[in-house]
Amino acid sequence: MNEQAAYLSEAIDAIVAGAGSLLPEFMLAFFFLLLVFLDLFKSETIKRLLPWIAVTGLFAALVTQILGGYTSGGVQFLNLLRSDGLASYGGILFSAAGIFTVLLSLHNKALEQLKQGRGEYFAFILMLVLGLNLMAKSVNLLMLFLAIETVSIASYILTLTLKYNKSSVEAGIKYILYGALSAGVMLYGMSFFYGLTGSLEFTTVIFWRTLLQANTLMVTVAAILVFAGFFFKISAVPFHFWVPDVYQGAPMPVVALFSTGPKMAGIIVILRFVNAFAEPGMVDFYSDLYLFLGLAALATLIIGNFTAIWQKTPRRLLAYSSVSHAGFLLAGLLAFGTDYSGSVLFYMTILLFMNFGIFLFLQIFEDELRVVTLPGFSGLGRAYPFLGVMALIYLFSLTGLPPLAGFMGKLLIFSNVWEAYSLSQNPMLLLLLGAGILLTGVALFYYIKIPYFLFLKRNQSEENLVISLSNKLLLVFFTLPLLVFFFKPDLLQLWIEQMLAQTL
Amino acid sequence: MNLILSSLIFVPLLAALVVLVMPIRLQKPIKAVALLGALAQLVLAIVVYLNFQGAAVANGQRGYQFVEKLNWIGLSLGSLGRFQIEYFLGVDGISISMVLLTGIVGVIGIVSSWKITQNVKGYFLLYLLLLTSVMGCFLALDFFLFYLFFEFMLLPMYFLIGIWGGPKREYAALKFFIYTLVGSLFILIVMIGLYTSVVDPQATAWQLGLLERGMPANFDVIQQVRQLLQQNAIVSADMVHTFSIPAMTEPANFVPNSLLHVMSGVELWNLPIRFVAFLLLFAGFAIKVPTVPVHTWLPDAHVEAPTPISVLLAAILLKVGGYGLIRIVYPIFPDAGIYFAVLVGGLGVLSIIYAALCALAMNDLKKLIAYSSVSHMGFVLLGLASLTVEGVNGAIYMMFSHGIISAMLFLLVGVIYDRAHNRMILNFRGLAKRMPVYTSFVVVAFFASLGLPGFSGFIAELLVLVGGFSSPEATGMLPRWLTIVAVFGLLLAAAYYLWALQRMFFGKFWIYPDLRKDAILSDLNFREYLMLVPLAILALLFGLFPHLLLDKTGFAVTGFTEMVLQNGEEQLGRVLLMMNK
Repeated sequence: MNEQAAYLSEAIDAIVAGAGSLLPEFMLAFFFLLLVFLDLFKSETIKRLLPWIAVTGLFAALVTQILGGYTSGGVQFLNLLRSDGLASYGGILFSAAGIFTVLLSLHNKALEQLKQGRGEYFAFILMLVLGLNLMAKSVNLLMLFLAIETVSIASYILTLTLKYNKSSVEAGIKYILYGALSAGVMLYGMSFFYGLTGSLEFTTVIFWRTLLQANTLMVTVAAILVFAGFFFKISAVPFHFWVPDVYQGAPMPVVALFSTGPKMAGIIVILRFVNAFAEPGMVDFYSDLYLFLGLAALATLIIGNFTAIWQKTPRRLLAYSSVSHAGFLLAGLLAFGTDYSGSVLFYMTILLFMNFGIFLFLQIFEDELRVVTLPGFSGLGRAYPFLGVMALIYLFSLTGLPPLAGFMGKLLIFSNVWEAYSLSQNPMLLLLLGAGILLTGVALFYYIKIPYFLFLKRNQSEENLVISLSNKLLLVFFTLPLLVFFFKPDLLQLWIEQMLAQTL
Repeated sequence: MNLILSSLIFVPLLAALVVLVMPIRLQKPIKAVALLGALAQLVLAIVVYLNFQGAAVANGQRGYQFVEKLNWIGLSLGSLGRFQIEYFLGVDGISISMVLLTGIVGVIGIVSSWKITQNVKGYFLLYLLLLTSVMGCFLALDFFLFYLFFEFMLLPMYFLIGIWGGPKREYAALKFFIYTLVGSLFILIVMIGLYTSVVDPQATAWQLGLLERGMPANFDVIQQVRQLLQQNAIVSADMVHTFSIPAMTEPANFVPNSLLHVMSGVELWNLPIRFVAFLLLFAGFAIKVPTVPVHTWLPDAHVEAPTPISVLLAAILLKVGGYGLIRIVYPIFPDAGIYFAVLVGGLGVLSIIYAALCALAMNDLKKLIAYSSVSHMGFVLLGLASLTVEGVNGAIYMMFSHGIISAMLFLLVGVIYDRAHNRMILNFRGLAKRMPVYTSFVVVAFFASLGLPGFSGFIAELLVLVGGFSSPEATGMLPRWLTIVAVFGLLLAAAYYLWALQRMFFGKFWIYPDLRKDAILSDLNFREYLMLVPLAILALLFGLFPHLLLDKTGFAVTGFTEMVLQNGEEQLGRVLLMMNK
């Protein structure tokens, strides 16, 4: 009895000691509950305030994580969640993505006309961001599973926001089916790991040391199964089939969120996973796993880029572009022996702005001008030069052309891969480097379709559309980092470095 | 610091910003601002050209003058040291002629664009951006900066062809974009490899504490750093990697166990990795030159582009390819340059002959001239591959001369197209009867291009061929038969030009009946004189007084060939030694 009491009080002490490190998550949870509660009221004023309450919550979490300092009581919550610099930086990106999503939603026509469930919608954005934060912090397989499921469930609901829309429902169903499957597979793989090591703490050295004694094939299979879940989240091949349908059916702000939030969180999870066995002494034992990751990155790059060529709608085109960016990020993760974490985070930061920018652009065209296919853009760049130039900036940054930050992101990743190749001379890296760089040419071929129709094709359009000032400001806001971080990438890199230096 | 080179680059950009804020309906003032921007650039270019000292050796910078150097980006790579990107500009004998050419052609192009009516603001905005990026390419001495300008050229060009071009403009613009982008991606791969392999001795000395930060390093300190580096005595965290092209040309700046070091011994497809890097870079620039067999984008782009853009494309954009070969590829990989001399020279000769044969078969006058461009750019490769002083001088002379003459040729095609809305050779006969002055300019341009003595084209071809013929004895790069084959290119050039002249301009006047209705075959107007007369004078001037240009280039070229041959032979020996091991 006494023993149990002692154990309990010890556990409570540990929880209390670690709880401080979860301040941003508590904030998000609080505002989530607040939104759910306020949504019960019928008052129009309150209804109108809901998005702003969501922004407040996200903003509070963002500021807390930028300022830091809340982890003074320790960074570890039990053996489940670790609030190190990597997680905080991820948290900043997720909160920013959340804020952008809400802002985009405010301008979205379909969401504006939504009769019911607007409160829910904003609440679930918070829930999703909360889940992403937990993903980035997880150092325990079971906790990780919970976090990923939190994100998935929020994603399913957000996809289905427009219940009366047929393609939305189709997207939702596909998403749930694929999601459930990959979750099951991942859990299966995790159980292998637990069986082999008796531990769930996958970032510890002991975990991977113990695995060395197990059958290599077994370990590789288990890891591949676990990666199924991660790949689903980052939309890497071969778990990318849900992407085009969901991108086609979900509301635009949600698509923008999916193309950044879960992808970034998934990459951070893989980063933690890979970091644990990337040490020079150990990496040789996991060469099969490395080969698998390399092949997956290669397949993601190739399939993402080549499939994008044949797409007829801008949403699907960007869906495959999003797949290809997952490939770049994966390739960046495999540059063992270099400081790849910094470059990958840099790339993700830039991706955040590029994607929200281009999806906002699409939303404006879809809502105001009913452009849903690529030829629909014909001549509109001349009619609306401001929008056209903004689109150019996002698209060329996505392609990776100077003078835009997308180029810097790619340059950093390719530099790491080259450096890693010169250290290990693993032909896989050379293949990734070559494929990554040459596929940029393919990427240009499909990205340029949008400016091609915007500027090169002619079309008489009589409509005279006035773009709201807030939309314009947002569009400009998203381009600023793309220009600034091309000319001064050191600003961002230094910050990332400082964040990453905050380990245990 | 002297800011003249920066102003040379950014004056058109400034004009572009002014154009950007001007209201769309002010068409004349927009054109005036653009003209002012281009004129200012020309004046600055002339000032730089006149003040450039042909034989000066600035301290250790191998003759770079008007140098501007600022730290731009310093990125930390953690355990791998740092890398720095500099805003590093300078001219030497190799770039000076290109700077002048850009200035001249920039102004001519604006005059030629005067009749543009569709979307004037956008057109001149893009045009000025193009001038900025081309000039930036010629002046940048930092590889990253060069690459930035090199890539940025594509965007304005894509839209200039794609919006203001002919009937198949979309296809041509896309083809141009994809081809050159793929070329620049090859360059990107090597650029990444190079900067991870090369350190900046001065900044590394600062990092090591050998020298106070900010102090310029003298030769001894730099030598000391290089020695330490080659003895593997510098830990990688202390290395400062650089994109500086002059630093990359010095073999002692390569990190010993990096992939692109001479002794790395790494092979790829049975070739030393340095050779592969050379081939990638060469391919990247060869697309831009363009060289057969990667030239196919050029005829399409030329045919579809509006006249002024054709002029810019032929006269200065193509030169970036040849310039890149001389500035970047050969000095950084001299060993591979020697090893692949026959390949480079052979591709040059192939371009000369094959493109000339194509030109012979063309029915469209503009296409004929486009192919003649490809043929003439072949001489640049041949001259460069010979690595003789005459050959390389000839290559540079050819780039300059071709810039002047091809600008003239495309303007002349524009003249007939403006009047008849057609430029098929067989649709016209005896134009000399109706347009005598026009015809005489065509004769001048054709003869200048085919290398008649007295015109700049003659000097260029002569120098290249002398270089090629002396190559077997002087440098041992090229077999003699290659140059002999190249001579047939001259004959073919004479054939396609004279035949076109005979078919289109001489004989009894006749014009294809369908064209008669809207063809107004008036002779040249004032604006056209304004463009053609200066170009004709320049072609003649540089044909009669070659020392005007050679005095500026000669010294740098001698330095270039000596360095390439000396470093190249030595490095080639070491590379092959590593391979045989």
